Amino acid sequence: MSKYAVEVENLKIRFNLASEKVDNLKEYAIKLVKHELMFQEFLALQDINLKIKKGESWGLVGANGSGKSTLLKTISGILKPYEGSVKVNGKIAPLIELGAGFDPNLTARENIFLNGLVLGHSRKFMEEHFDEIVEFANLNNFLDSPIKNFSSGMKARLGFAVATIVNPDILIVDEVLEVGDMRFRRRCNERMQQMLSGGTTLLYVSHNIDSVKNLCENAVWLDQGRVRMTGDSQTVCEAYKEEQERLTRQKKLEKREKLRREGKPYDYLIVGAGLYGAVAARELTRQGKRCLVIDKRSHIGGNVYTENMDGIQVHKYGAHIFHTSDQEIWKYVNKLTEFNNYINSPVAVYGDELYNLPFNMNTFSKMWGIKKPGEAKKKIAEQIADLHITEPKNLEEQALSLVGTDVYEKLIKGYTEKQWGRDCKELPPFIIRRLPLRFTYDNNYFNDRYQGIPVGGYTQMVEKLLENIDVLLDTDYFEYRKENPNMFKKTVYTGMIDEYFDYCYGHLEYRTVCFETERVEEDNYQGNAVVNYTERRVPYTRIIEHKHFEPEEEKENPKDYTYISREYSAEWEPGAEPYYPVNDEKNNALYEKYRALAEKEKNVIFGGRLGQYKYYDMDKVIGAAIAAVRKEVEPKL
Amino acid sequence: MDLLKYRVKTLFKYQDLIKELVVRDLKLKYRRSFLGYLWSILNPLLIMIVLSIVFMNLLGKGIENYPVYLFTGRLLFDFMKSGTTNAMKSVTGNASLIRKVYVPKYIFTLSKVTSCMMDLVFSIGALVILMLVTGAPFYWQFLLTPLVIIQIYLFSCGLGFFLAQLNVFFRDIQYIYSAVLTAWMYLTPIIYQIERMSPKVQFFIKAFNPMYYYVAQFRDLVYYGRFPGPRIFWGGWVMAVIMLIIGIWSFQRSKDKFILYI
Repeated sequence: MSKYAVEVENLKIRFNLASEKVDNLKEYAIKLVKHELMFQEFLALQDINLKIKKGESWGLVGANGSGKSTLLKTISGILKPYEGSVKVNGKIAPLIELGAGFDPNLTARENIFLNGLVLGHSRKFMEEHFDEIVEFANLNNFLDSPIKNFSSGMKARLGFAVATIVNPDILIVDEVLEVGDMRFRRRCNERMQQMLSGGTTLLYVSHNIDSVKNLCENAVWLDQGRVRMTGDSQTVCEAYKEEQERLTRQKKLEKREKLRREGKPYDYLIVGAGLYGAVAARELTRQGKRCLVIDKRSHIGGNVYTENMDGIQVHKYGAHIFHTSDQEIWKYVNKLTEFNNYINSPVAVYGDELYNLPFNMNTFSKMWGIKKPGEAKKKIAEQIADLHITEPKNLEEQALSLVGTDVYEKLIKGYTEKQWGRDCKELPPFIIRRLPLRFTYDNNYFNDRYQGIPVGGYTQMVEKLLENIDVLLDTDYFEYRKENPNMFKKTVYTGMIDEYFDYCYGHLEYRTVCFETERVEEDNYQGNAVVNYTERRVPYTRIIEHKHFEPEEEKENPKDYTYISREYSAEWEPGAEPYYPVNDEKNNALYEKYRALAEKEKNVIFGGRLGQYKYYDMDKVIGAAIAAVRKEVEPKL
Repeated sequence: MDLLKYRVKTLFKYQDLIKELVVRDLKLKYRRSFLGYLWSILNPLLIMIVLSIVFMNLLGKGIENYPVYLFTGRLLFDFMKSGTTNAMKSVTGNASLIRKVYVPKYIFTLSKVTSCMMDLVFSIGALVILMLVTGAPFYWQFLLTPLVIIQIYLFSCGLGFFLAQLNVFFRDIQYIYSAVLTAWMYLTPIIYQIERMSPKVQFFIKAFNPMYYYVAQFRDLVYYGRFPGPRIFWGGWVMAVIMLIIGIWSFQRSKDKFILYI
């Protein structure tokens, strides 16, 4: 006996595909007279060499029409080789289509016999195993009803039961187990596993790559009738999957190219490649809309943009730490890219003193040399009581009435004054409504459930969002609109709303910051990602050391240099980079006027921090973009 | 020789399947009908009565016991007709099965002809009833009819194989064949006596119509109560074997290509 269960050598299968299907004598005669009888040779399989040892399990993967089923059919003897040879040692149970050959008009009982006989069993054998089949198929109550009344799941159950009564030497399974309920599939899998452990050789075809990986040790990848790859199933399946994804991407790219060449108008023009714009573009594209994203900057990502500087992801527009309590949003971003477990715990430097932020027991302990929350509460309450503030008239009095003298003087006063560029006594009290005090030893700045920073920076995450979407950088919206008025049907505008309306009611105000980024030849400059400087005499508000945002990268590739950014607050003037909207009464009233105008623009969606003049955390901006698209595409009633 | 042994072995292995397929055909034919298998007997009798009434005076003059004369001919021709017609569709009709499981394809053709032969056996029962009713004499030669039935069975198998493989490639063979069958029926002395034809036609029929041989043999045994002459007896065998060889050869030659066309 050979040690191989299946030996395929130089197999070639040829189909004579008539260019037009001629299956009757009349047409045949006509075509023959007209000399139109053309046959196209089609090689369904060629140069196939495959040796399968007994007891091995093999999966066949490949695109539709790659020859998987043809190969299985050749091995099970349904097709004959055109060239080459197929040797099979052992009894085959083909599960190519469950219940093939069931006669719909016969009862289940009669069909069991018929099907078993078709598979080459004798009547006596079927009689012996009849009960076993009925038991496995679990169709006791329906034995005498015609099979045409059966559901496809019931038929599959019966077919599987009949096909697997014997322990065959070779089991051939061609995508038959995709029907039927969970329980049945589990039982099929158990049966197959059982047969496999009993030494049955398995040949398995499925489009479900995971089930191939699970069931098979080895795999063959067929591509247009040829063997593309043979080997262990993990490797082959991965390679196949990668190729599939590559092809899908390429196809999309080609389609994009074609539409662009044809100059077909886009469904949506998205102004601004920041988070809002990118998410909106992705969601619209997923809904089948064609989008063009433009940005006047020379990079994508808006303010979350991170730049790779000598291997360190530098947050060019300030520290961005992703945090959210919304599980859906967290899942959404994690599908795009991997997040690390960075937790923001900034520290504050006041003169030669250093305190933990946010204000928590670590802060209070250091400040007053106390240990218990009760002591801290008492201390703060005493300080507040001494001040006798009943109605705060300015920010200073407001802050003092919330946290007392020490915390205010050391950690709030100077920092706030630098931020706003004026004295705390001159600032309105509403800027600080609440100053959260934490009476635990917890330095985690955010209260959210999920927190982290994308491994490899934000830019690649935005790249992922904009995958397969046309992007034009260094493009000003107002110029683009003037030059290409017919290239788009609708607009998603994430720029400044007042600029859109040409500042017709005047400028909205923003707070802005600027950065001084510097390479320092030191492996660790300040030991923390964010250090705030709370004294007024220090010109910058904080220093960010970017490598600490990615501790995992530093661990893998230690660097003896670092990048730091000093952050300065600056007075905003028209033309400066806008960062934070100033949501005071005056500006909010102005925004309302613009919003009324915006509502009249039926074909423009205003979104994002600048388009809606609203402070958005990153998670909120993503949520807002998703919600806006949902509202946009949902059928109008 | 090994190949032949192998063929016989597979045939033996699949004998249960053939049986099952034959039983299926019979079951499905009469399932859920009130009279069940009785139809196999009633049906030919009823048709025979109609035909007898129509042709009795037209062609039946001078033929003793015309209903039995007519029935003996019709019986065989009907078997050949339904056997070959069903056999013709046997491969294309089981396409879904043939595409998915390996089964020797001739099984389907063979089982169709066989199940039609079962009908023939039922019809012989009808013949017996008819003979009793009309008071026709029974001869001992009746017992030799299986010899003729085997001949026509082999012949029908051969023709069935030939048609089945042809039908895979050319589906309109069905229509052509049904026209051929009608002509064939009238060229076989079923409703008339061959002696009434002109000598030219007689020669033509005797030379080229195999059905003449089987009908004539059958009538000799049942209707006339005599042993058929050696010409038609041996001629019948030779024609059956030749047809069978042609059928098997053509089927064998093209069976591997079936899957590409069904």
